[in-house]
Amino acid sequence: MMRKKLVSVLLTAAMCVSLTACGGGGGSSSSGDSGDSGSSGGGSSSDALQVVIWDNYQQPGIQEICDLFTEETGIKAKVEVKDWDSYWTLLEAGASGGDMPDVFWMHSNNSQIYMNNDMLLNLDEYIEKSDVINMDNYMPEVTELYTLNDSVYAIPKDYDTIALWYNKKMFDDEGLDYPDSSWTWDDFYDAAKKLTHDGQYGFAMNTTNEQDSYYNMIYSMGGTILTDDKKSGYDDPNTLKAMDFVGKVLKDCCPSATTMAETMADALIQSGTVAMVTQGSWMVSGFKENDIMTENCDVAILPYDKETGVRASICNGLGWAAPANTDRADDSWALIEWFGSEEMQKKQAELGVTMSAFEGTSEAWVNCTDTFNLQPYLDITEESKDEGVTNELILRPYTYNSTRWTEQAKVDLVPAWNDPSKMEETCKQFAKTMNDLIASESN
Amino acid sequence: MEARRKFTTVLIHVILVIFSIIMMVPFLWMILTSFKSVTEATQVNPFVIFPSVWKTDAFSTVWNNMNFLLLYKNTLLLIFWRVVCAVLTATLAGYAFGRLEFKGKNVMFSLVLFQMMIPAQIFIIPQYLMVSGMGMTNTIFALVFPGMVTAFGTFLLKQAYMGLPASLEEAARLDGCNIFQTFLHIMSPLTRSSMVALGIFTAVFAYKDLMWPLVVNSSSTKMPLSAALATMQGQYTSNYPQLMAASLIACVPMIVLYLIFQKQFIEGIATSGGKL
Amino acid sequence: MNKKAKMTTWEKNQLFWGWLFIIPTMAGLIILNLYPIASTIYQSFCKTGDFGKGNVFVGLENYAQMFGDSVVWQSLWNTFKYAIIEVPFSICIALVLAVLLNRKMKGRSAYRAIFFLPMIAAPAAVAMVWRWLYNSQFGLLNNAFGLHVEWISNPKIAWICVGVIGVWSILGYNIVLFLSGLQEIPHDYYEAADIDGASGIQAFFNITVPLLSPTIFFVLITRVIGALQVFDLIYMVMETSNAALPKTQSIVYLFYQQSFDYGNKGYGSAIVMLLLAVILVITVFQMIGQKKWVHYE
Repeated sequence: MMRKKLVSVLLTAAMCVSLTACGGGGGSSSSGDSGDSGSSGGGSSSDALQVVIWDNYQQPGIQEICDLFTEETGIKAKVEVKDWDSYWTLLEAGASGGDMPDVFWMHSNNSQIYMNNDMLLNLDEYIEKSDVINMDNYMPEVTELYTLNDSVYAIPKDYDTIALWYNKKMFDDEGLDYPDSSWTWDDFYDAAKKLTHDGQYGFAMNTTNEQDSYYNMIYSMGGTILTDDKKSGYDDPNTLKAMDFVGKVLKDCCPSATTMAETMADALIQSGTVAMVTQGSWMVSGFKENDIMTENCDVAILPYDKETGVRASICNGLGWAAPANTDRADDSWALIEWFGSEEMQKKQAELGVTMSAFEGTSEAWVNCTDTFNLQPYLDITEESKDEGVTNELILRPYTYNSTRWTEQAKVDLVPAWNDPSKMEETCKQFAKTMNDLIASESN
Repeated sequence: MEARRKFTTVLIHVILVIFSIIMMVPFLWMILTSFKSVTEATQVNPFVIFPSVWKTDAFSTVWNNMNFLLLYKNTLLLIFWRVVCAVLTATLAGYAFGRLEFKGKNVMFSLVLFQMMIPAQIFIIPQYLMVSGMGMTNTIFALVFPGMVTAFGTFLLKQAYMGLPASLEEAARLDGCNIFQTFLHIMSPLTRSSMVALGIFTAVFAYKDLMWPLVVNSSSTKMPLSAALATMQGQYTSNYPQLMAASLIACVPMIVLYLIFQKQFIEGIATSGGKL
Repeated sequence: MNKKAKMTTWEKNQLFWGWLFIIPTMAGLIILNLYPIASTIYQSFCKTGDFGKGNVFVGLENYAQMFGDSVVWQSLWNTFKYAIIEVPFSICIALVLAVLLNRKMKGRSAYRAIFFLPMIAAPAAVAMVWRWLYNSQFGLLNNAFGLHVEWISNPKIAWICVGVIGVWSILGYNIVLFLSGLQEIPHDYYEAADIDGASGIQAFFNITVPLLSPTIFFVLITRVIGALQVFDLIYMVMETSNAALPKTQSIVYLFYQQSFDYGNKGYGSAIVMLLLAVILVITVFQMIGQKKWVHYE
């Protein structure tokens, strides 16, 4: 008797809670905001829009743009930074629970799953009414990332490309010429190998950041990560050839994989232990703060492959998005519109935050610093001046739930990074895993 | 004999000093690193142990970047409310489980014990959904929420009440006290040391709680110290002087509290033991 | 129902006040803990939809997958390995230090404070400073001793190094518990042993250990449960790209990765059920085994 009663009590409790939990998704979010502002006891920031981003280096610039917005509209906005992992964990928990930040960044890795589940505010109506936003002004590649069934869910914020950073002093000590647009990947390898001795290394690579590392080599050498029919490209012969090259570089020119796992490539070049790294344009604002970087380092365009004649840089762009279920849609939109305006896109570039997605604003970004020559980041987006070389901008590959297989790649490829002789079997093995994961994507 | 005793004492001190040094090394290294420049901290040839110039840049940077006063405040509020709720509910329930006989007691108590064996991580998402359903994320209430009741504390207080002699209660009953009066005036004052123990315990583990604050209070103005420090680790991956300076600033208040309350702190924990 | 009518006033009183007193705690536990357990059990039979919507009941599929998943078994084994380092070492070292501290001596409270310090350090601070000490490139350990050891990246030794952090963190807690247990051992036992000519070491094994066994047992039970649930430490010390991670990640880590990073809550729930079963079995065995070595007065 007792037991039956207990079970029914438990079930009732469980049902009550699950009902409230589900209800929270839609109806009660408005009461949420009032509860929040009430509990913060009239603090001045209680009604500020919550803006969440994941890049610590961009925070000052973005906050400055938000402050201008507050001056203009009277709406306060506070920028918060999470690290990449927490960002997505929290955003997903927020999306499941119906409580997301007011304005946040969207990334091509995750945009499909968020758009398909109606988690993002559909911006079509707002764009139509706006005399500030015209989607034709932005790089079409970035717009495409955040468009689903002809509806726009995020306003392009920026785009990024990859370039080669090198330590001039280390090249001088070795008597080597600095990298330039004539470099092939073989030239790169030869130089990196010569630079590797006595505790210093020619190159370092973030194996967990595929975008600024091995993806570029794969696409340059004719390989691919994802085929047009959404199959893994890790078993493509050209990909394998490129990965073989990556393995050779890792073996002969890089600190051990374990060292690179503990200390990221950007930290290694900032400490002066490696001569070259490939890094995205979003790193510039951070590198400007470091003495070794400002004194010794500069930027070159990525090398090309001798056989294919292709110089490839992965390109990606972020978007500004708002949650679909929000009672502050107008305020959120006002801020997104502000971020997307020509003036603020230009401001973002001038401040050196990142290259902006608004076309024709990139020059401002290149001129944001005298310390480094940032032109190589732009050159790759234009036609090559070198004979027989084509510059290709490759949009970072994505599927419905890219996070699933990109995260898995970080885990599954570790054996290959540690022992490059296992590169081919590891990649082939992962191709199978990746195909299974893509096949199981619920859509 | 005297010489031998002296030798033993010296030997004991030597062993204790060696272990103290081992225990202290991480803290000392934290302090040394926090006063270095990034270049000095990542210099290998030659390796630098003591900073050539004791720089406080890292401290001023993290102090300015993170609102530590607010973080201290959030942490103290979190600790305060968790301690109040835990001691209150556990004292009541502990008395009922320890001294009263009623139907359903044993079933209920076995639920209490069962809870202690579950890894805390599985509670995070359901509890998060409840808090967000109430629209209470990013509040102090959200931080306190999972710690409002405590299975461990209930167990602890039950043991304390069971250890008291039955004669006290009978005397009170004969004097005409009802159960609540007996509990309030006679029995509960006698378990004060266990309540203190539970309070201290709750405080230490509220301070060390990491996953829950990280998930439920994503706003940097509503985080407690432990969570703010963890997010910072992700943000400043390579700036070790800043990471160490922030760690130090975060640890200082607990260390000061510890030094002030040293006696209660240790004795409190010593009498209660408990689950980590 | 008829029985209740025959209850005495005293029994009725107890029923009323008893339930009134336990209601806050029980309501809290049911809502905060038992409902999540129930929902986790349910989840473990589901395939999770995006953002927790559209869960599909799949029966035992997650469990079937789990039993064939070598990663799960490896993680379970890793969890045991961690416990095998943390529990015995932290108990033995703490026991010795507590016995040494259990006398009137200079600097006693200073020693006690130093041993207890790691307990009150924020977990993120602990992880950060140890990562920094262990760092193969810039760390103190390698540079001070001129070594080139990859402490936390070499799969062969990383689990030991993580265990060392665990021992360091928990030592003070065990010492304090043992100290309190030692206070309760009557001093005459040692005097008698001294007269009989027993050495300090003999007294330790013949008097201290048996009389302290209830405390040791308590510490053992709680530490085994704690060690099997290890998560924070591994999560914060080990990078995803760390080659030693597969040989170090604990079962709760795997649960976290599946549920939060991969959004596969159903599978994550099944994994946590496995851990729960393991903890239950081990705790029951410990409870049975205590009769053999724990001496209650």
